[in-house]
Amino acid sequence: MASDRNAQDDFTGPLKRLLLVVLALSLAGIFLLWRIDSPRVERFRAQVVDAVVPRMDWAMAPVTASVRLVRDFQSYQRLYEQNEELRRELRKMTAWKEAALQLEQENARLRDLNNVRLDPRLTFITAVVLADSGSPFRQSVLINVGSRDGIVDGWATMDGIGLVGRVSGVGANTSRVILLTDATSRIPAEIQPSGQRALIAGDNTSAPPIDFLENPDLVRPGDRIVTTGDGEVFPPGLLIGQVAEDPGGRLRVRLAADYERLEFLRVLRDHGTRRVDSPSSLILPEELPDAGVPPTAAPDVVSGDGGDG
Amino acid sequence: MPASRPQQHLTWFRGTAEMAENSPARLWSMRATYFGLAFVVFFFHLLPLQIMPSRIAGPDILTVLTFAWALRRPSYVPMLSVAVVMLLADFLFHRPPGLWALLVLLAAEWLKVRGRHVRENTFVAEWITAATALFVITVIYRVILAVLIVTPGMLSLWVMQYGMTVAVYPLVAAISYLALGVRRSTPGEYDHTGRPL
Repeated sequence: MASDRNAQDDFTGPLKRLLLVVLALSLAGIFLLWRIDSPRVERFRAQVVDAVVPRMDWAMAPVTASVRLVRDFQSYQRLYEQNEELRRELRKMTAWKEAALQLEQENARLRDLNNVRLDPRLTFITAVVLADSGSPFRQSVLINVGSRDGIVDGWATMDGIGLVGRVSGVGANTSRVILLTDATSRIPAEIQPSGQRALIAGDNTSAPPIDFLENPDLVRPGDRIVTTGDGEVFPPGLLIGQVAEDPGGRLRVRLAADYERLEFLRVLRDHGTRRVDSPSSLILPEELPDAGVPPTAAPDVVSGDGGDG
Repeated sequence: MPASRPQQHLTWFRGTAEMAENSPARLWSMRATYFGLAFVVFFFHLLPLQIMPSRIAGPDILTVLTFAWALRRPSYVPMLSVAVVMLLADFLFHRPPGLWALLVLLAAEWLKVRGRHVRENTFVAEWITAATALFVITVIYRVILAVLIVTPGMLSLWVMQYGMTVAVYPLVAAISYLALGVRRSTPGEYDHTGRPL
């Protein structure tokens, strides 16, 4: 009996042990493959997500809606205060509206003089947020448009007002948007009116810090932050948010987009964006600054890192 | 097989309830239940309710469920189920794919072996065993990510998640026991083929 029990104990069955080794090796293999060749595995991830998440959507939509309904009910308790606040704001806004109308007329006249045309290439696709990243360590959302709708990796997404994030990972019916708050998000930005260039580096908090600022003295809380066309990552001039100072004296961004209520997103079609064609290639300037002769070979450099994986 | 038959004859009178509990139908339905629960967890994790980065990290229900079942009823969470569910979780939750799945798989196999020794002990011993396994794989996970220069996320969130996950273990064990009948098998219990559990 004792020997029989030992034989069963400790998963001594050679088959079981073999299965464990095979499973462990394949999982480790997947992880290493991801680390070495991230874009390929990320594309596979997009396909997996594409196969699973839309199937849950029929149930997710009503549950999300009912939770939101309950939250809205809770906000009715503060209805009176909100009403008062809105009245005050409305009075302020009427004055602004008057100013805006005058400015609009002036703007129209000036445009007419300058013969300016708005960029017709900057159209957008509206998408619905399907799911979030499901992990407290990553900040991303899944939206219900994908390569079927012509979405391309790298396009900017906005809500009605401000920049929300960047498309990274496109499946047939879904795509993932890395939010500005994610720890891997880096967006080149310009701070107006001083014109300082900086990088908005997400760090998993609701207000990303402003990095690589040339001269912090020229920047004060309340300044507007917009995207630059630097690196041809994003179209220039999209509103990101306002400068704010945290208690530690560090400059951060108060995001213009309303992350609390992110239901619909605009994906900006940007045909000027240079695409990343082959896995692991980088977006580089057409002519490198210190290259004497224009390079004849393709300037794709293998970086070995997907970066935003 | 005939050698082990007599044991079954010794125990068959334990009652029909237990025989039903260890029947193949029950075994396979519980394996399916594991997948079902995993999908429920995926579903609630993916609901787009909290898009602002939160300061609180919730418990990792999937891992704690796997550990509790691996300690209590190893046959309900075979290796293949654990690997498939955790790998899918890695892909869906935007984690580095494969690593957490690998660590949970190895930890679950270790717990299955430990489970035989812990079984005769108190619940606290079981709890500590699960917490230890989770601690070890969490540390390994962070070290591997740091070595391979992948940002593993804020340490404070990890500590919080670890604490929450350990704290939620008794709850998961209790719910598994009360709602699904996943209880610790007693020594001298046999499955439908007559092998000791």
